[in-house]
Amino acid sequence: MLRRLLKDFQGDVLAIPGRLLALIFFVILFFIPLFLQGSSGSYYLRIFIFANMYVIFAVSWDLLSGYTGQLNFGHALFFGVAAYTTALLNLHLDWQPWLTIPLGALAGVIAGLVVCLPALRLRGPYLALVTLAFPLILLGIVFAFTDFTGGELGISGLDRISNSRTTDYYISVAVMIVSVMIMWKLTDARSSLVRTGIVFHAIREDEIAARASGINTIRYKLLAFAVAGFFAGIAGAFHAHFMRIAGPSNLELTLSFQVIIWTVFGGITSIYGPVVGVYILFPLMELLRVVPEVRNLIFAGIVVAMLLFMPEGIAVWVRDKIERECPRCKLSNMAFRKTCRACDTPLYERAVD
Amino acid sequence: MLRKVIPVLVVCSLLVLLIVPGCGGEEGNVIKIGVIGPMQYVQGEHHWYGATMAAEEINDAGGIDVDGEMYTIELIKADSNEMTSPTDAAAAMEKLITVDGAQFVVGGFRTESVFPMIEVAMDEETIFLGCGAATESLCQLAVDDYDRYKYWFRVTPFNSTKLVSNSLMTLGMAGAIMQQGLGLEGPMTVAILAEQAEWADGMVAAYQAYVPAMLGMEVVGTWRPSATATDLNAELTAIEDSGAHLILTILSGPVGIPYARQLGELEIPCASVGINVEAQKDGFWDATEGHGNYETTLNTYAEGVALTSKTVAFIEEFQDRYDQTPTYNAGTYDAIYLLKEVIESTGTMDTDTLITALEEIDYVGAGARIVFMGTDTTTPHDVTYGPGYSTGLATQWQDGEMKAVWPNLGVGEWEGVTYEGVVMWQIPDRVIAYYTQD
Repeated sequence: MLRRLLKDFQGDVLAIPGRLLALIFFVILFFIPLFLQGSSGSYYLRIFIFANMYVIFAVSWDLLSGYTGQLNFGHALFFGVAAYTTALLNLHLDWQPWLTIPLGALAGVIAGLVVCLPALRLRGPYLALVTLAFPLILLGIVFAFTDFTGGELGISGLDRISNSRTTDYYISVAVMIVSVMIMWKLTDARSSLVRTGIVFHAIREDEIAARASGINTIRYKLLAFAVAGFFAGIAGAFHAHFMRIAGPSNLELTLSFQVIIWTVFGGITSIYGPVVGVYILFPLMELLRVVPEVRNLIFAGIVVAMLLFMPEGIAVWVRDKIERECPRCKLSNMAFRKTCRACDTPLYERAVD
Repeated sequence: MLRKVIPVLVVCSLLVLLIVPGCGGEEGNVIKIGVIGPMQYVQGEHHWYGATMAAEEINDAGGIDVDGEMYTIELIKADSNEMTSPTDAAAAMEKLITVDGAQFVVGGFRTESVFPMIEVAMDEETIFLGCGAATESLCQLAVDDYDRYKYWFRVTPFNSTKLVSNSLMTLGMAGAIMQQGLGLEGPMTVAILAEQAEWADGMVAAYQAYVPAMLGMEVVGTWRPSATATDLNAELTAIEDSGAHLILTILSGPVGIPYARQLGELEIPCASVGINVEAQKDGFWDATEGHGNYETTLNTYAEGVALTSKTVAFIEEFQDRYDQTPTYNAGTYDAIYLLKEVIESTGTMDTDTLITALEEIDYVGAGARIVFMGTDTTTPHDVTYGPGYSTGLATQWQDGEMKAVWPNLGVGEWEGVTYEGVVMWQIPDRVIAYYTQD
């Protein structure tokens, strides 16, 4: 049994450079606090905690918009709904974060299903515009019921997740890894466990053909919105407790567009793309604090330059450099191999003399 | 070729950015003070200007005397990006304290961002002197948990509930001058013109209740244009038809310009008082092409008006250096001097000792006499408001110049309260012409 697991691990992880890098990355995440000691350590851990939350948020957008093709320009809605729900439950009912965060995520699911109703009838730019409107509507509600929502000041004074920055960090890493793994599995078209991945692909590529093949696309679109709402909700609820405040900024358009930038920069429709995108761009903005006057300009310049030369996203660009898919069995191989590790098919066409 | 060079350049620039923050010079006797604010906006800019002026003056005079040893001030600028992202603001605050080593912090503006910034400063047990956010609740945090929130003090502005008081007193003064000057009989009538914003909602409700109750004036209606409206023809015509003598404004957005311009262009026979943030700016006269004459707004500073013995010199120096009139965010100037005062009086930089000294301080700054509210009040560590303390001003545009017109002609505890340089509020020509025509 153990030998078989080890063999699978060797074949499915160690033999594929992209997965090997992901494994190394996750392992490094667990050791980061050891290198971040002293007073400045708490600042760097804060950046990593934010990055972990935004990774979940961005991956959830990739699942919905990248894999299923449901272009969502108002993803902050799920984030904000969960943040406000968790804040209200914590502040008024004195419920603890371990309970309010999952309930916040459930509120994200409900928000996802509500947004999905028009999405069942709309596509492309029309859907994008409708999704854009939802967080604006909620913002209007926030400002209309200020006694309940705190208006532009938000709801502050929430309980902390823990009293230690290191504990907060490890919780965020664990939640991030579990969330990303679940979403990766849900979108894996080759998965033998769930068939959602291949259906999501089918809906994005040709919804009518998918329906003609007997797939209940409505059910899967509802599922995609619910799952995306759930994970974006986890990020929003976690963020509210970590910041100890939920406010209108959790619903603002800036956040909805940020998530798109992170995902497209890393590589859309890849799951690991948004992880890489967030982990590069979010700390980059922190590094750019040394030049505050031109911070946004440099950031925009880097994003534009990278997209110009790596339009598929930086993570996908790197993967294509280090991996090679077998043209026959579609198995991933290390780029330096000449033949497929499984079927021995040549990976590169011979140059014609 | 370019395809290979660009990624290399990007990676190199990232490495440089990683290395640069780690480079630092030798440190002598230095007190590091962080200045945090939205540096891309005028608010953050003035945070920085005010603090820079104070730090340079103090350093030029030899620095801060800490128990016989002289220390110079080193300011650290932190762009909080708080208008866009409270997340960014909290991270900026944490970097300022934990990485850059700020021992004290001054600044802050947007309340939703100042809350998380306070949390970080309290976690790090660092004194944070607020110079921007006016929300009352920021100073109520210490009521529930003094030990945690004792590091937060608000130097400026006085809290937002007092804006209503100042507006009402300015309205009362203008109404009395109009009644006397124009021989008007019966109750004065007031139209409320407030932009559509959440911060204005509470003030509208307060005005609707207090204008009749406290001033004996009649509210004839409330109009709520967008904060970015460019045409107020409909609102102003309706106000004219309502027969209002006065318009009580609550405007912070760019709508303040077309409002004041059209008020003059259409010769609406009403005087305008209240809050119009655009009218606080030096460029207001040109922007309204002179039609904004007589526009009256609450303000913080006015040229030549001595709120304290230090105000005039401060404004002149500020204008010389930056060619602008300071906003209340430049109160970082007083905040830095407050720190100097308590450090020198106690001879230590021990945080708890300094907090006690700040709680007991009675300091005359450039903006006001600063005394913090006691720990037994509902807003501990808030700057004290009222005659003899922080009062603010009202200014009126009079033939191209921004003149202070209030505090003046006050009643009750405000009787006799005024400042050198405050002039009489003037009834607009169009209003005089309307009420004196046959």
